Amino acid sequence: MQQTEIETAFAELLERITGFHPAPIGRDLHLEKLGLDSLAKIDLAVAAEDRFGIAIPDEELERFVTVGDLLDYVHRATA
Amino acid sequence: MSKVLRIAIVGGGIGGLTLAVALRQRGIEADVYEQAPELAEIGAAVALSANSTRELRRLGMLDALTAVSTEPSELIYRNWQDGGRIAAHPIHENMSYQGICGAPYYGIHRADLQRILSGALGGAGLHLDHRLTEIRDLGGATSLSFANGRSVEADLVVGADGVRSLVRRFITGRDDTVYSGTSAFRGIVPVSKLPTLPDPKAIQFWMGPDAHLLHYAIGDDAEYVNFFAVVEYPKVWPHADKWLESIEPGEAVAAFEGWHPAVIEMVAQHLPVRWALFGTRPLLHWNRGGVVILGDAAHAMLPHHGQGANTTIEDAITLAELLPGTAPSGLARLFAKYQSLRRARTRKIQRSSWITNALLHLPDGPQLAERDRQVVRFPKNFGWIHQFDALQTARDAMQTQLQPAPPHA
Repeated sequence: MQQTEIETAFAELLERITGFHPAPIGRDLHLEKLGLDSLAKIDLAVAAEDRFGIAIPDEELERFVTVGDLLDYVHRATA
Repeated sequence: MSKVLRIAIVGGGIGGLTLAVALRQRGIEADVYEQAPELAEIGAAVALSANSTRELRRLGMLDALTAVSTEPSELIYRNWQDGGRIAAHPIHENMSYQGICGAPYYGIHRADLQRILSGALGGAGLHLDHRLTEIRDLGGATSLSFANGRSVEADLVVGADGVRSLVRRFITGRDDTVYSGTSAFRGIVPVSKLPTLPDPKAIQFWMGPDAHLLHYAIGDDAEYVNFFAVVEYPKVWPHADKWLESIEPGEAVAAFEGWHPAVIEMVAQHLPVRWALFGTRPLLHWNRGGVVILGDAAHAMLPHHGQGANTTIEDAITLAELLPGTAPSGLARLFAKYQSLRRARTRKIQRSSWITNALLHLPDGPQLAERDRQVVRFPKNFGWIHQFDALQTARDAMQTQLQPAPPHA
């Protein structure tokens, strides 16, 4: 998948889960700053799994600090 | 007229029986295949929280449950050594819990719950002594073979066959169980044998270094206490095919040396075995062809939120509510909706139960202050688990169409 496509789809997921629509998405934005604690990150991960057809294991999820970390993972997993 | 769906449920535990009863309430018959020659739940007791008792009430079972259950007086967290109360939250007192969560919190013997569920089914469609040995995708239907030599075909197979699910293996093609590095001693003790136990009607966590003990009362008069004592070993579980192993007399007492006398009174009971605590890794897909899983088969979790049985009942209700009107050709759509309703919630509880283990087992030291703050906030932080309404959530989801599939990249 193209980076821009991922970012657009990801922004929709983020808005659905946090009610917040960052435009444009800041890669350096901390997930925690978006109100995503470790359990809310699971909501985002499961939504991303369903949307992109990839698996995001808990161990990976724990490592994601910024929006960019998650976008990079999705990009690699869908490549 | 659409063809009647042939439904086979693998497993006659809490999940399989709840699903069969909920389907019958909706005018749908299903066959339940249970490996045991008689219904005999293992695992002593279970705590049913509002997220499941509200569903069992809708199935018309509340009076029967109330007659054999105890609602804990309070949820209390205690220090392992001196028994000091670190946090306490009212449950039965002033009907606090029901006021907040909309349904009761019940400690009940598993055998009683199973008797009530199977009684509601009246024995119809329940096939004992059917141990599943093979599942085959026939393209449009699924065949199940059993150790007793029988085979059946079904349009929809629901695997409610627990943490070691054979049905899950058919779906994922691998073993998804994960051993936690923790094990438990468990038992049921008459309250009369626990003279030093404070607040015997409460549900209580005794928290200490590398271990904890949880207990709550069961029965209609709180005459028994069910306890569950968890330790941080063995690091590797040495048995491939079993999750129980025999222990030496006195082993559990040795593990809790120096703990409060009430804890010792419990673990000093005759405890013949140690239970390995397994979970499953979160799964991307809960279905394959006409086969789907629920409960521990789909999302086995550590017991620290007491949610294994409760989320299983939620799964069963969700599936039952989505199912009416589904033709064989509509199963893929049904499964997508079921998964989308269940996967995030159960994964969060799985994850949170795993994290809670560490919280309950902290060594004495500076981290305890933060832990104590967390157990004080427990009802606020975890209200989302207990207040959940599975039936209403499924109904709401049926009002909204499935999102159109994303275009292929």
